[in-house]
Amino acid sequence: MIAPRASRQALLLVVAGLLVSVWAFPVLWALLTSFKTERDVLAYPPLLVFSPTLTNYQDVLWGPSSILPNLWSSLVVSCAATALTMLFAVPAAYALARLRYPGRRISGFYVLATQMLPPVGLVIPYYLVLQRVGWLDSYSGLVTIYLTFSLPFAIWLLVSYFEDVPYEMEEAALLDRAGRLRALWYVILPQVRGGMAVTTVFVFLNAWNEFMFAVVLGGNRVRPVTVAMFNFISVEQTQWARLAAGAMVAMAPVIIVGLLAQRHIVKGLTVGAVKGGGRR
Amino acid sequence: MSLAAPIDVMARQERRFALALFAPAFVLLLLITTAPLIFLAWNSLQKLDMSMPWLSGFAGLDNYAKMGGDPRFWNSLALTAVYTASTVVLQVFIGLSLALLVLQIPRGQALLRVAAILPIVLAPVVVGLFWRTLVLAPDVGLVDVVTRALGLGSHNWLGDPQLALISVIAIHTWQWTPFAFLVLLATLATLPPDVYEAARLDRAGPAQRFWHITLPLIRPAVVMVVILRTMTALSAFAAIFAATGGGPGTATEILNLYAYRTSFTELNLGYGSALAMVLLAITVLISWLLFSRRKARA
Repeated sequence: MIAPRASRQALLLVVAGLLVSVWAFPVLWALLTSFKTERDVLAYPPLLVFSPTLTNYQDVLWGPSSILPNLWSSLVVSCAATALTMLFAVPAAYALARLRYPGRRISGFYVLATQMLPPVGLVIPYYLVLQRVGWLDSYSGLVTIYLTFSLPFAIWLLVSYFEDVPYEMEEAALLDRAGRLRALWYVILPQVRGGMAVTTVFVFLNAWNEFMFAVVLGGNRVRPVTVAMFNFISVEQTQWARLAAGAMVAMAPVIIVGLLAQRHIVKGLTVGAVKGGGRR
Repeated sequence: MSLAAPIDVMARQERRFALALFAPAFVLLLLITTAPLIFLAWNSLQKLDMSMPWLSGFAGLDNYAKMGGDPRFWNSLALTAVYTASTVVLQVFIGLSLALLVLQIPRGQALLRVAAILPIVLAPVVVGLFWRTLVLAPDVGLVDVVTRALGLGSHNWLGDPQLALISVIAIHTWQWTPFAFLVLLATLATLPPDVYEAARLDRAGPAQRFWHITLPLIRPAVVMVVILRTMTALSAFAAIFAATGGGPGTATEILNLYAYRTSFTELNLGYGSALAMVLLAITVLISWLLFSRRKARA
């Protein structure tokens, strides 16, 4: 019995190893490429040993095609969208999760439905309206359309955290004649601090990674870093190593936060459907 | 004084408080999502071609009628079906198989989870560019290096129409299979072990245990994964845009990309709006079907 068991273990380990490499390899390969010269990138067979260089990072950050302005655009849009989202989402999520009011079920369903709209169906009317009012290539326009996906998402994610707060805490606060707003602020919100932090992070990351809205509604002034990746690709020439370095810089926040928050990621990704089945 | 009065007051107070909290988000959502959709529907009834602005005007259902004789539309519809069905099936199949395998690995699961997180958090546009350059580029891409080493020759993975479709399906599957894997792994880990003990005592084989115990228990999670992955596949954009731009020709132009290209490359926003309306209708229909199926089972 021992031999087949050992070979089975070995097989499992091989499969696991393959898995890790298939998923991690393109990212690690990009990391490696970002330290190569353009000449080394095109070597065949591909070089695993080479003298690393930091010029790609220097070029990408301080060179003529610097992505620093794009990082700034991404930061401004993502921060503004995140702040506004939380401002509107926290109260709405609390009402949906905890309070009785007419039309609660249907309003929850409405929020969920808005999350399922195909982005292309939104970007066309936004383009037409923003063009008419002169808001193309503006922070306000981009932040507004980012709210269309972040607000429903944040509301539903927060609802799941509000639901975990024990009812007794709320009742105790109300019996104290604390008033509902004070109870919410001083008793409930501290309980969901963790959930709010997770939600904030996810909303920020989603905004940071967004592409379609940015490429249509942005421009020369407001040009998030996802769009700027195309700076390194043109019909005549692909700047492999710079693209890799730029992508590494652009994705660094996402990768770091993703790895730190990995335990919450599955929850964040499944939130709509878990709650949306209409079981309540 | 009766007891009913304060309860009544409390309920009214609660109602008012709830509306005050919910109304701002609700009104905002109406303004930023529902109103634009109505405007989209209105535009789909217009002739609105930025390259010929002087011809603009109300067109009734012309844009929709035009689709019937538009081979590019039917092509994009077929591609959407192929792309969505194949990516969802592949993700669930591979994700579930891997989850079942990994569940048996006593140690090192944490490392696997970390590797699985990577593709999920990356921006799809960056994923598309990585694959276009580092993985699939002729001669220097990883896949081409492997096929050359194996004697299978070099291929233009994104330039050949048939290979390009397979490539974009592979890219999508690569990025999102970890999601199915993580969700199903988490679900499998919560299954009660005593059921399996009982089954083993009944001499049920591994296949029987899977079909009669595991699958029914994880069905809700599988359905949820299918719903979410279908929605993502239907509105997939950035990775395809970065890898092929919908090409070569229209070889990877799913409906979402066709609506985008019509609107913003060819600047025919009226017809683009109508295409987006069709995509919206398909999304609503499919999510309704999946959700009602889910409720019926639950």
